[in-house]
Amino acid sequence: MRDESKSIARGLQQRDPDLLDRLIEQYQYRLFRYLMYITADKARAEDFFQETWIRVLERGHQYDGKSKFEAWLFAIARHLVIDWQRTKKAQSLDALIDPEQQKPLQIKDEIEPSPFDQVLTQEREEDVQSSLQKIPAIYREVLVLRFQEELQIEEMAGVLSIPVSTVKSRLYRGLDALRGALQGGAA
Amino acid sequence: MSENLHTRALQLVAKARVEGLADSERDWLNTHLQDCEFCNEHALQTARALRALRTAAISVPTDLASRTQFRVRLRAMELRESEPKRRMLWLACAASWIFGIASAPYVWRVFEWFGHVTGAPKLVLEIGFALWWTIPALFAVIVLLLEGVQNSEERDWMRPER
Repeated sequence: MRDESKSIARGLQQRDPDLLDRLIEQYQYRLFRYLMYITADKARAEDFFQETWIRVLERGHQYDGKSKFEAWLFAIARHLVIDWQRTKKAQSLDALIDPEQQKPLQIKDEIEPSPFDQVLTQEREEDVQSSLQKIPAIYREVLVLRFQEELQIEEMAGVLSIPVSTVKSRLYRGLDALRGALQGGAA
Repeated sequence: MSENLHTRALQLVAKARVEGLADSERDWLNTHLQDCEFCNEHALQTARALRALRTAAISVPTDLASRTQFRVRLRAMELRESEPKRRMLWLACAASWIFGIASAPYVWRVFEWFGHVTGAPKLVLEIGFALWWTIPALFAVIVLLLEGVQNSEERDWMRPER
């Protein structure tokens, strides 16, 4: 992992276009998913996705390869979203959600089971998505970073610029909120 | 069974997911979950919620990566074009400072002669001489500021405005 991070750092310092193309391909799903969860808006997530990679190009020399590349990438994306929110004078990440425009996220089934199973799976996943949107964004974000991106708590603290203890308390509350939201959704 | 035991069990169920458990905690929790239906159901609900979160999929727009790659390459070209200009600017500054240091005694003589002719006080001459030295730095700062303003104007249209 460390060798890969170092080689990414070297490539970014040289602004290697082939490396950037490869990284965009490699991290497109994870970055887009993260942005979708924190913005809850597909068009905005697309804009921030592109802007994040422009930042990676411009600030690539700041990545030293000592931490995971994805942690640095998510931190850039998060700061972009927060900067944008500040210009819009929003109060929290939840302020990014416009209830009028908010639609259930499109669900892609990668396994391609039977049509009946597909409908069941899609309904369940739509439940998950709509349940997640009920959770405050600060908890949604830590849940995504921990249980989807599988970042360590220390890495999350770096991405979120908060102490490890705060990450833990948000995770505990987020877990409670997720369980509650899914139970509520299923009821 | 005491309320405290359930509370501890529920805390450990969450801790197992967030921080991980010590062996003794894990053994205690497993034993408790075997005996307590309520806590066992809570643990199963937590597991189901996390499984649902992990397996939830999002569709990425098919051309998003290629559009991004195109934009990144364009920006890389812009940066490559602006780099030689900036390098030239710093070279020019460095050259002018070296020339300034080398020519300082002669320039000071010119200032002295000018003071002698005009009768200007020595303090004014010294300030003038110091300002003469700041000209390359001022020039570089002005060029960089103008470049910064231009870049920020170019970037404004790229910002998400929805």
